[in-house]
Amino acid sequence: MQALAVRAEGLDRVFGEGDVQVRAVRGVDLEVRSGEVVLIMGPSGSGKTTLLSMLGAMLRPSRGRVEVDGVDLASLPEKRLPAFRARRFGFVFQDFNLLSALTVRENVELALNLAGVTGRPARERAEGLLRDLGLGERLGFLPEKLSGGEKQRVAIARALANDPAVILADEPTANLDSKIGHEIARLLRRIASAEGRSVVIVSHDTRLKDIADRVLWLEDGEFRSMSEMVTDPVCGMAVEREATPHFVSDGRTWFFCSTACRDEFATDPDRFSASATVARGGEG
Amino acid sequence: MRVVGARVAVGRRNLFSERRRGLLGVAGTAAALLLVLAVGAVFDGAMRQITRYIDMQPAQVFVSQLGVRNLHMASSSIPLDALEAIETLPGVTSVAPILFAQDGLETGGGRRLSYVIGYEPGLGGGPAEVETGDEPGPGEIVLDTATAASLGVDTGDPVGALGTSWSVSGLVGNLSNVANGAAFVQLDDFAAARGLPDTASYLLVATDRDPTSVAAAIERETDLSATTREAFSRSERALVSDMIGDVLRIVTGAAWLVGFAVVALTLYAATRSRLREIGVMKALGADRGALSRVVLTQAAWTVGAAVGVAAALTIGVGSLLARTSSPVTMALEPGALVRVAAISMVVGAAASVAPLVKVSRVDPASVFRR
Repeated sequence: MQALAVRAEGLDRVFGEGDVQVRAVRGVDLEVRSGEVVLIMGPSGSGKTTLLSMLGAMLRPSRGRVEVDGVDLASLPEKRLPAFRARRFGFVFQDFNLLSALTVRENVELALNLAGVTGRPARERAEGLLRDLGLGERLGFLPEKLSGGEKQRVAIARALANDPAVILADEPTANLDSKIGHEIARLLRRIASAEGRSVVIVSHDTRLKDIADRVLWLEDGEFRSMSEMVTDPVCGMAVEREATPHFVSDGRTWFFCSTACRDEFATDPDRFSASATVARGGEG
Repeated sequence: MRVVGARVAVGRRNLFSERRRGLLGVAGTAAALLLVLAVGAVFDGAMRQITRYIDMQPAQVFVSQLGVRNLHMASSSIPLDALEAIETLPGVTSVAPILFAQDGLETGGGRRLSYVIGYEPGLGGGPAEVETGDEPGPGEIVLDTATAASLGVDTGDPVGALGTSWSVSGLVGNLSNVANGAAFVQLDDFAAARGLPDTASYLLVATDRDPTSVAAAIERETDLSATTREAFSRSERALVSDMIGDVLRIVTGAAWLVGFAVVALTLYAATRSRLREIGVMKALGADRGALSRVVLTQAAWTVGAAVGVAAALTIGVGSLLARTSSPVTMALEPGALVRVAAISMVVGAAASVAPLVKVSRVDPASVFRR
């Protein structure tokens, strides 16, 4: 059994007060082991980002606790959180979020600087990581000169710079085409398997299920059973079996994220049903 | 173990990655600092120039009518028999009488306010060296080059002064300041023109002893004021400084305000345009110190580059002015440059406050928002 890297218990996060109060995350429990890839899916506004922010020590929970590498985040004073984030987490974002004025090497080096590693050691570590990810020829390039896939690989190198226990990835494939998205997904899988890091991915991209050890569905701030989830055959989004638009074709019931997808499906059911994949624990 | 070494220069890279904005910030700040430095340099140049006649005299003690310790806007009258009393004092090696007046020099083409000094050639009180032509003989006048240029005259030309006409016999180096030119005639001619026989305005005393003690001895033995050359020069500068100090302070203050506004706007714009990246840095673990370093580095680069540009321009303009016959001279004193650089850094730090507040309010979790 691998060691526990992340443990969240009874996480709650409330925004606002009174009539405008929103409970974005409700009593979430989560354990992620070293070397494990956990994919968290859910509709927009379901609380995924809030959960990720709390797991990444950027947002204090209203209730509950988060432990990372055995450290209770609540025990850390606010001023120690930046250093903790720098050393224990690696972040991968949908928009890559590379600093546009810095070169590829400097973007990775900066993450090391923030963790207290400077000068030649930082430079050599950054260059080594970038070469490992196939970016050895791009060290002096500015991000604007890179393709989407290259940018995301730089972001992954930056995430790995301080040898973190946990990688938190927010929609890491959303801005990438299918082929590159698949490459990034495999890279994240390799980072978990080969290097023993925990990878928590928040995404709408169902392709990431292929590399995940576990898929969790977050809706209205709570984890729901994936057995209730099916895949929209038109857009590929995971949707709840109940309370969503549906369509019966050849005695089989298909579920959709919206009436628009359902109407599109209805124009040519054979085309979509042929390519549809059965969602884990559900049917399309 | 913490490894110490160079860090990625985020602040500098941020500032100059948007080259136009960075350069505009530097240029705007440099323009404001140029105004500060130029005004100061003109003032320092004027101060240096305004006492140039005094400073170049070999005599170490200036004797004047009791209570008078200036040339500019002063009237001093000493009976010439005081000269003999002073000559006998211990340590006094020579005494040169001069007559002094501020008067308009006139030619057919123009008029220029000038110090007119009557002296005895060979005795002292005249210009250090006549560059062109000769010292004044009877009915002759020597002008400084800037005055001659402004009047459009050369040696041999006539010039009106002290109510009479003179012939220019020679030119001396630039002794003009922003307000006055300089002209020299023989003492007797001056006395005759103004009807001042047996009178001097000042006595210039040379000594081989401590000038302060000689000045004190003169004041003890006569009813006159005696001031060392350095003190007389200081007193002259203080008078002029008092006269134009307020204007100078207003112009300098306005220039500092412009500089502050430009630096503040540059930093604020540079920070505001990168709030998302600042959020990213926070998410990656940048603490308040690291982010403050980024903003302050931008301020230091903006101000530092601006000080360099402004100093270079001030020196350049000063050199150009020196090659002309302009009475305006610029002197960029090292102390003034250091003072302006130091104040600029304080202004840069003050201008960083708003961006720092903005940075401190960025939520690291904002990086997850799209």
